Amino acid sequence: MSEDRGTVTALGADPEVALTRDVSWIAENYPLGGGRNVHVSVFLIRAEDQNILIDSGSFYHRESLVRRISRATAGEGIHSLVLSHSDYPHSGNIPAFRRRWGDFEIVASSGEPEIQGLPYARRSRIGGSLEVAGREIDFLDPPLADRSHTSWIYDRASRVLFVADGFGYHHADDEIGLTSRQLPNGFRSEEIYTFHRDTLIWLRYADPAVLMGVLREMFAERDVSWVAPIHGNPIAAEHLDDYLERLEEGVRRIVREQAI
Amino acid sequence: MPREIHPGIHWIQEFGPDRPGIAKSLVDRGAHWYRPGREIHVPQNAFLFTGERTLLFDTLSPAATDRILADLERVLDGRALDYLALSHPDVPHAGNTFRILERHPGAKLVAPSFGRTHELYHLEDAHKVGPGDSLDLGGKRLHFHDAAFLDAAMSMWMTEETSGMLLPVDWMGLPLMDGEGLLFADEFRSPVDEDRYAEFHGRVMFWMRYVDVARTQKEIDLVLETYRPRMVASAHGPVIRADVPRYFEMMKEVVERVATGGRTGVL
Ligand SMILES: [Fe+2]
Ligand SMILES: [Fe+2]
Ligand SMILES: [Fe+2]
Ligand SMILES: [Fe+2]
Repeated sequence: MSEDRGTVTALGADPEVALTRDVSWIAENYPLGGGRNVHVSVFLIRAEDQNILIDSGSFYHRESLVRRISRATAGEGIHSLVLSHSDYPHSGNIPAFRRRWGDFEIVASSGEPEIQGLPYARRSRIGGSLEVAGREIDFLDPPLADRSHTSWIYDRASRVLFVADGFGYHHADDEIGLTSRQLPNGFRSEEIYTFHRDTLIWLRYADPAVLMGVLREMFAERDVSWVAPIHGNPIAAEHLDDYLERLEEGVRRIVREQAI
Repeated sequence: MPREIHPGIHWIQEFGPDRPGIAKSLVDRGAHWYRPGREIHVPQNAFLFTGERTLLFDTLSPAATDRILADLERVLDGRALDYLALSHPDVPHAGNTFRILERHPGAKLVAPSFGRTHELYHLEDAHKVGPGDSLDLGGKRLHFHDAAFLDAAMSMWMTEETSGMLLPVDWMGLPLMDGEGLLFADEFRSPVDEDRYAEFHGRVMFWMRYVDVARTQKEIDLVLETYRPRMVASAHGPVIRADVPRYFEMMKEVVERVATGGRTGVL
C-alpha cells in the first residue's frame, strides 16, 4: 500500500513517513464519523545513536504504535520521550512503553509533574532549552494550546517544530497519513476551522490580530522546516503561509459566529 | 478532613506540594499579599453532594489517591457512592477515577457530553451530560452546563440548586499560603483579590493573553447574570459564600491584567 516518497497511504500500512533525514511521522488516525478524522500521532527523531519520541500517543493506538515504533527503530525502541502535555491522548502510553523499552527519560514541561501523574519526569521550562539525547531542543510558549503546561518542541538540528493542540486538521478518509506535500488539493479552510473551533474553545474570546501576530512573529524569528502537529497533517515550510491564512480566517469565523 | 460547606455538600481538598517556583516569582514581582518565606500551594478540590443519593464531583490528582479514598469513606460513612462526575478528563481532576470506581463499583460514571473523542479517555460508556441535563439526588438538584472558561474542550460546569452553588472548575482558582486550606474566601487573613487571582489565571488560562478584553469581560457579566450564584466552588480556589458579584468584578480585572501583562508562568 505504500508508494513514492516513503509515505503511508493507508492506516498503519507503513511504519513511518519521513519528514527530514532523521525525523519521521508515525501517523495514527481516529475516525470522528461523517467522513472526518483526526490524527493522534507521534513523531520520531533518530538522533545519532538514540531515538527520541515526541508524545506517546493514545492507548487507543497502543498496539499499532508499539509495532510501528519497534519497526522504525529496528527493535531498539526509544531512549527519550518528550511530551507536549500530559493530556491522555498524548501521554497515555508512557507506562506501557516503559515496560517494553525500559525506564527511558521523560521530559515534560509541567510545573508540578506529580500532579500530572509523572513523578519521574525531567522538567523542561517553557521558554527554555534542554539537551535531550544529544539534541538541542527549545521549549516554546504555545499560542495555540489547551493546557497551561503545554510546550511546543523545536528540534534545532532538523528545524522541525512539533505542536499540540493547534495546527490540527479534520482530514478526510483519503487524507490519512499525508503531509502537505501529498494532499492532492492542499488544506481546506473548513476543516482547519472545525478542528480549532472544537478543540481550543477559548478561541471564541480571541483577538485574532493579537493571536496571529504572535504566531507569525514566532515563525519570523525561527527557521522552521516543518510544522509537525500531533493532531494534523504535517505542514512543510512552503505551505505554512497558506495554512496560517486559512487559520486566521478560521479564528475570525469562530469569533464572528460565537457572538457574546 | 473534609469540610461541610452547605448542608450535605462536602469540600475535599488536596493541598498540593509546596511550590517554591511560584513563591519566587511572587517575591520577584513584589506581590503585596505574599509574605516571603511562606509556602505556596495550588490546591485541587473535589466536592461530595449527599442527598438521598450521593455524587462526587472530580477525583483529585494521582498524588492524592489515598486522600480522596479516605475522605470519601469518612463522609459517606458506610453509604454508597451513587455517581462520580468528572468536570473534564484532565489528570489532576480525573486521575483517580478507576481507583474510586474500584472501591465503589456501584457508582455511575458521569462525564461531559462535549466532543467526539470520549473513547480516547475511556469515557465511551460514561453517562454523558451537557447543557439542559439535570440530576436529582433527592434533596440536592444538579444542573450541567457548558464551561465558559476552561482548558480541555471536553469540559462541563455544574450548579446545585438548593445552595445556589456554581462549580466553575478551572476558573476562579488562586494560590494558597500554608494554613489557608479549606477556608472560605471571607475567612482569609491575607487579601483575596484580583492580584492573587491573576497569578493563577496567568498560568492556567495563559490564553487570556490573546483575548479581546471587552468581549471576555462581557462573558463574565453573562455568567453572573445566567447563574446568579450564591456560592462559588472552584476546583483550585477558596469557596466563596458571600459577595459573589464582587469576585466576578475581580475576574474582569484579571482578564485585563493577563491580556496586557502576559502569562505569569506555568502550572
Ligand atoms: Fe490538549
Ligand atoms: Fe490533544
Ligand atoms: Fe484543567
Ligand atoms: Fe485544573
